[in-house]
Amino acid sequence: MARTRTALIAGAGATALVLSACGGGSGSGTAAGGSGNGATKVTSIKLVAAEYSKDHTAAFWKQFADKYKAKTGITLDVQVVSWDSIDQQSSTMIQNNNPPDVLNLNVYASYAKDKLLYSADEVLSPAVKSDLLDAFVKSGTYQNKMYGMPDLSSARALFYNKDLFTKAGIAAPPKTWDEFEADAKKIQALPGGNIGYAMPLGPEESQGEFSIWTFNNGGDWKTDGKWAINSAKNVETLAFMKKLAVEDKVTQNNPGKTNRAQAFDLFKSGKAGMVVGFSPLAGALDTDKKVNYGVAPMPTKEAGGTPQTFGVTDYLMSFKKPGNQDAIKAFYDLYYQTDQVNTFIKDEGFLPVTKSGLAVFASDPKLKVYLDTLPNVHLTPTDDPTWDKVKLAVQQNLGAGVGANGDPKAVLDSLQKTAESGG
Amino acid sequence: MADPLQGAVAEPGSTPAAATAPAASPVGSASSDGSSRGRRRRTLHGGTSIWVALLWLGPALLLIFGVVVFPAVQLVRAAFSKYSITGLRLGDAGTTNFKNVLNHSSLPTVLANTVIWVVVVVALTVLISLAVAQFLAKDFFGRKVVRWAIIVPWAASLVITAKLFTMIYDYYYGTLNLILTTLHITSGPIDFLGDDRWTMASMILVGIFVSVPFTAYVFVAGLNAIPDDVYEAAKIDGARPWQIYWRITLPLLRPAMVVASVLNIIYVFNSFPIVYTLNDRNPGFLHDTTITFMYKLAFKSAEKDVGMSAAAGIFNVLLILIVVVVYLRTLKWQEQED
Amino acid sequence: MAVVTRAAPAPMGTRRKVGWARARRYVLPLVGLAVALAFLGPYIVMVLNSLRPSSDVVQTPPTFLPRTWQWSTFGDVLGDQRFLNWLKTSLLVATSSTIIVVLVAVPAAYFTARVRFAGRTAFLFLVLITQMFSPTSLVVGLYREFFDLNLVNTYLAIILTNSAFNLAFAIWILHGFFSSIPKEVEEAAHLDGCSRFGTLTRIMLPLTMPGVVTAVIFTFIAAWNEYVVALTLMLDDAKKPLTVGITSYVTGYEQHWDQLFAASIIAIIPVVILFAFIEKHLVRGLTAGSIK
Repeated sequence: MARTRTALIAGAGATALVLSACGGGSGSGTAAGGSGNGATKVTSIKLVAAEYSKDHTAAFWKQFADKYKAKTGITLDVQVVSWDSIDQQSSTMIQNNNPPDVLNLNVYASYAKDKLLYSADEVLSPAVKSDLLDAFVKSGTYQNKMYGMPDLSSARALFYNKDLFTKAGIAAPPKTWDEFEADAKKIQALPGGNIGYAMPLGPEESQGEFSIWTFNNGGDWKTDGKWAINSAKNVETLAFMKKLAVEDKVTQNNPGKTNRAQAFDLFKSGKAGMVVGFSPLAGALDTDKKVNYGVAPMPTKEAGGTPQTFGVTDYLMSFKKPGNQDAIKAFYDLYYQTDQVNTFIKDEGFLPVTKSGLAVFASDPKLKVYLDTLPNVHLTPTDDPTWDKVKLAVQQNLGAGVGANGDPKAVLDSLQKTAESGG
Repeated sequence: MADPLQGAVAEPGSTPAAATAPAASPVGSASSDGSSRGRRRRTLHGGTSIWVALLWLGPALLLIFGVVVFPAVQLVRAAFSKYSITGLRLGDAGTTNFKNVLNHSSLPTVLANTVIWVVVVVALTVLISLAVAQFLAKDFFGRKVVRWAIIVPWAASLVITAKLFTMIYDYYYGTLNLILTTLHITSGPIDFLGDDRWTMASMILVGIFVSVPFTAYVFVAGLNAIPDDVYEAAKIDGARPWQIYWRITLPLLRPAMVVASVLNIIYVFNSFPIVYTLNDRNPGFLHDTTITFMYKLAFKSAEKDVGMSAAAGIFNVLLILIVVVVYLRTLKWQEQED
Repeated sequence: MAVVTRAAPAPMGTRRKVGWARARRYVLPLVGLAVALAFLGPYIVMVLNSLRPSSDVVQTPPTFLPRTWQWSTFGDVLGDQRFLNWLKTSLLVATSSTIIVVLVAVPAAYFTARVRFAGRTAFLFLVLITQMFSPTSLVVGLYREFFDLNLVNTYLAIILTNSAFNLAFAIWILHGFFSSIPKEVEEAAHLDGCSRFGTLTRIMLPLTMPGVVTAVIFTFIAAWNEYVVALTLMLDDAKKPLTVGITSYVTGYEQHWDQLFAASIIAIIPVVILFAFIEKHLVRGLTAGSIK
């Protein structure tokens, strides 16, 4: 079997970045021997991949499969599935005891809990693992072993419409919640029916929007390993968001029923003064060239606070099947080659997951605002299988908290109960 | 079990066509086919060999058993199984999944939504389709173009049509709000999909919009199958157009009407893309029907439980089965009353 | 044309009737226009959305007409090999499924309409019940079955699935048509020495053409628009049908509304063409002469 060890560049620039002490996660395990436990070696493996964009995802995996075949002689069958349907597809396969070999998804912990996955010790070369950013190693680690390998990442930041800011007489993006509220009111008051802040708290990703706000208030989903969804800080945060929507009326109509795409559309139309966005939004804005926008760190509740950046990573995970271990190891070796992983990430408009990737992307000044925060990103507790259910409960219920009759505390209390009862 | 079609789909009583109907008399002429191998066949009551029946029905049975029954058995099996949220089967669940569905706090809302959705969409669809079909049966300049136009909502993928309507209904950039505000029909935009008072009505409108073409064409086919002599006879008797329609057209259209209404009940009940897509920005189950409820139980809600979803799926089938049987029974009963 | 006499008013001969006869030449086409617009309206929006840049589609405030007309979308979509692959799959699957359904449903419907046999009721009910399962809930079992048969990722799998799921409508509608044809017609054919099969193909089928045509249109459209089974069973990008493929145009991260709508419009055209070809059979219907 022609497995080639990946030559990873431990970029000097990357290592120079002081990485946060995220705990480091698992001990650097020894790479498991590639024997595949004596089972017959597979001649093909299957990847089910999520579709990020029409023009890049399928094309990337196609060339990847060709390279993989050339290197290993193993066929890589790729099924690219839309995000809307990938849960259903993976569930169907697992219900039939026929999981793919590699699955690309936004969660992994439940699969690890079900003991379906190879750990990094078994399928990731030490050189590959040590190149991954610590924050993502940590979020990919369940019970001291890493199962979720980050495929790409994103970090959120505050996007603001410079023209609307100028019109409203606002000199700089807000640094505190008070400033934010005042600025949003000024933009809302402009003639022409503008919206101060586009707030997507609908069922698609309300946990993301809420995370961004509450992390900057010192709140979190868990503290010290315990669920803290109804903490005072979180209640305060949701109450503030409700105030923006109901009292101040500086958000779009029905924020509890707005998904990200709709909020982004308002910002892309030049109607919204502010929105929390990420690099793909910047890509779309640059293509459209309609909105003169700036990107700033999120404002914090108190003056002088350190802005927290909400980060998200999606995962590659690999399923234990007889004889596929070596093939999977070769898959990861190839994927994390700088020319593969970073090409994928760049094409899709996301952020790197490796230290060497940080160095590669550092040349792009537009990404500086995100890259600086990336090693310190604050993620949701994806390492807890309970979160996989809590997240869904949050998505289906949080929006009610900012409705006209919403009760932020009651909503968070009930979510806390859900979490404590195991989701 | 009652013959589901006889009396319902077969000829209506007291109409010219029914006078010659094959109604209840067994057809004795079945022996003329399959005769080459038919020498020692067992005959069933009614005089037809099971082998002859299999010859005619075999391919259909093969498809149904091969493709529908097997997965249905799997569905039943899943409903009695306990699953992890990944889809991994953890063991037997007994009737837990069924109990969980019945005890779900949103079930009453979902059932009420389903009743409104099915009854309103099917009733209005049938009424509108009758009018459209009658109109399309007339001869006028441009009829062909109108017929082609009406096929379009049927031909278009439901998912895309639903997506299109989310844009037409949108609060900010929706075409419908643009029209309403431009014509000063409303003072401001309406949140058709986000305002709880409007959501169901907005979905129902789309449901009717996509169901009418199919239904209208079933009626057009039904109208075309009515022999012209029937009308001519009526005209000679001096019947008025309205009388002709009420006394002749409608009764003769009954088979088509039964097919259309029964299938519409099933399709509208099982309709997924419209409710799912138009409702996708609303959290919770406030506007869901049993089908989207079932899907969300499996993949989108905090339950994320394919076993529970399978149990909901079984309830769905039982529910629609009961509705259809009751409907067909009622029709048959009405017929006997006549 | 026969239809004219049908719609004509009873011979009452008042002046008002004459006035109506003259007016209907103008009124009916106008009503027709209104009806057509009601059904096409949303798709006019769709066409306009395909002719403007994607960002203009979701622009607030909206405009009826594109701010800038973008004529290149249709060319872009048609020039995309992936789109052409999806189109090919859809055509293949829908056509094959339709043929299978007609071949299987016609004999079944005819036999159940004409012959009483034990199990007839059970058969008809079984057919009806197949419609009651939502495909979404059966997809897991279908995957297992086709996986065991080594048919995952094959056209055959989705052709068979589409055929099975659309059989019920075809059998139902044809059953209705077959039973409404007077038995005497058939008996005459028998006397003329036709076998049952010959009676079916030479006498009955022409008489039930509107039913067959309805079944064909129905099956073709249903197979053309099937989504969830193809999504689950087809792995290769090139083997996906249009319904699955075009979800690529709009993802959570990148939206090509213009291309999505252009592709959707192109996807409607084969159905309309098919309809235009067979529509006349829907109109012809029972000719009075054959029944006497």
